[in-house]
Amino acid sequence: MRSSNTAGRIIGEVVMIVIALLFLYPLFLAIFNSLKTFQEVLTDVIALPKHLMFANYSYVWKFINYPRLFLNNFVITVLGLLGIILVSSVAAYKLSRTRSRLSMVLYFLCIMPMLIPFQSIMLTVLKTAQFLHLSNSTWGLGLLYWGFGAPLAVFIYHGFVKGIPRELDESATIDGASGFRLFFSIIFPLLKSVTATIIIIDVMWIWNDFLLPLLMVNGSPTTKTLTLAAYTFVGQYTSDWQYAMTAMVMAVLPSIIVFIILQKYVVKGVVAGAVKG
Amino acid sequence: MNKWGRRLTEKVEFGIFTLPVLICVAVAFYIPFVLTVRYSLTKWNGISKHPKFIGMDNFKQIFTGDDLFASSSWFTVKYTILYIILINVLAILLALVLDSKLKSKAFLRAAFFIPYILSLVIVGFIWKFIFMQGFESLGNSTGWSIFGWSWLGTPRLAFISVLAVSIWQSIGFYLVIYIAGLQSVPDDLKEAAVVDGAGPIRRFFSVTLPLLAPSITIAVFMALTNSIKVFDVILSLTGGGPGSSTYSVAFDIYQDTFTNNLYGYGTAKALVLFVAVLIITVVQLTIFKRREVES
Repeated sequence: MRSSNTAGRIIGEVVMIVIALLFLYPLFLAIFNSLKTFQEVLTDVIALPKHLMFANYSYVWKFINYPRLFLNNFVITVLGLLGIILVSSVAAYKLSRTRSRLSMVLYFLCIMPMLIPFQSIMLTVLKTAQFLHLSNSTWGLGLLYWGFGAPLAVFIYHGFVKGIPRELDESATIDGASGFRLFFSIIFPLLKSVTATIIIIDVMWIWNDFLLPLLMVNGSPTTKTLTLAAYTFVGQYTSDWQYAMTAMVMAVLPSIIVFIILQKYVVKGVVAGAVKG
Repeated sequence: MNKWGRRLTEKVEFGIFTLPVLICVAVAFYIPFVLTVRYSLTKWNGISKHPKFIGMDNFKQIFTGDDLFASSSWFTVKYTILYIILINVLAILLALVLDSKLKSKAFLRAAFFIPYILSLVIVGFIWKFIFMQGFESLGNSTGWSIFGWSWLGTPRLAFISVLAVSIWQSIGFYLVIYIAGLQSVPDDLKEAAVVDGAGPIRRFFSVTLPLLAPSITIAVFMALTNSIKVFDVILSLTGGGPGSSTYSVAFDIYQDTFTNNLYGYGTAKALVLFVAVLIITVVQLTIFKRREVES
């Protein structure tokens, strides 16, 4: 009885691993074909590459100026993230602590935009950004994310601050700390776990975002993001599948590597964000 | 005097703390939203300096004379319903398997989650490559005719392709929500059901599923808000084709605004989408609120 159970478990295990590998097969195919010659891609997609054509990578690397794009992505994501966390956490703290009608109204003004689909305002966001000279610049795009990321961040912080006892603020006030010092030395450290959640959700969103960058920074090759570059690259080289796949792999590889290293935290953060949001 | 002074400091502090976020949200949402309402009442190609005011004409046109809007709305409704049902059923089934005592649990969970961390546009391109090139080789080596079908070239199959790729990309997200939900189902409850002689299926429907209700609420809500705005994957996978059979509402708005330069008309459609999303969300929230109170 016991041995047949173990055998069943091993079979179940193997079946699931095979299913998982089949599930990821498209990604493997993308990687294999990024290492093939054009002829090989045309004759047989599912065969393994005969020689590893790393030349594809150096070609695409230079052609799209990969380091530059990576830097752009990095600047946009970090700038966006810092701003979202800073402006949202202080505001959510104040709004959560102040009991007044104004405070309630402002809180709803902050979180209401979660109901607005981006496509409903995409054209006018572009116009507004042009008016403020935020378009066509990675910094400008980073700044815009402050507003787009704020509703969810305010919502999550606001709920969390409610659970921090007010006595803490009061005793700190007696000790002479107030305003920003009180917030950053006493409250902000207590928000660590939700801050981590917000970082994970927002990094995945901003790093991979497509439509907003397409409208804001697609004008010049020096301001593009990785996803945008991959998108335009495929547009130009529709038939050069080996280069297209190389561009795809280069665009997604950073995310996959980071995920493999931090997967426990990523999954935890995503679940926490969904449950709170 | 002192009290009055403290009041003032409090007010100033409130302003300093909240003003930055209000400015950011206004720039990102409220100003564009007001402009959207304004432009929706105009005829404008984006080039001329002054949009021409035409009142409600855009909306009349959208609801009476726009076949593409009708078909893209129908596409979006079909897509949304099927997406919500399929992704939740599949994710629950998968979560049940992964919640059991498999040794490779962590690996499996990570494997199913990976597509979710990738950009949808890129996922669309990778699948386009698979459909256009990979299926040919797979067909040759397996001899299965299913690989020979025109997955992106016929309307019905293209719809399935868009749906399947979206599910492939995001199932990991719903999976981890359900795994978290299953872990909060107490083991003694399941054991009690076993003792009472309930079989696995009975156990699932009368113990596990009811206790999963909070997770289902979240997952359905997320699935709805995401699928109603489906855009990226269509852009890179089918480009809306064949013909315009895989136009979603969001894709149709994008095409009108940025390809056809119908700025006024496009923003009017965008406003219609907003109202639709608003109504659906409010209805959904009230239903869930009521259910939570009951339980």
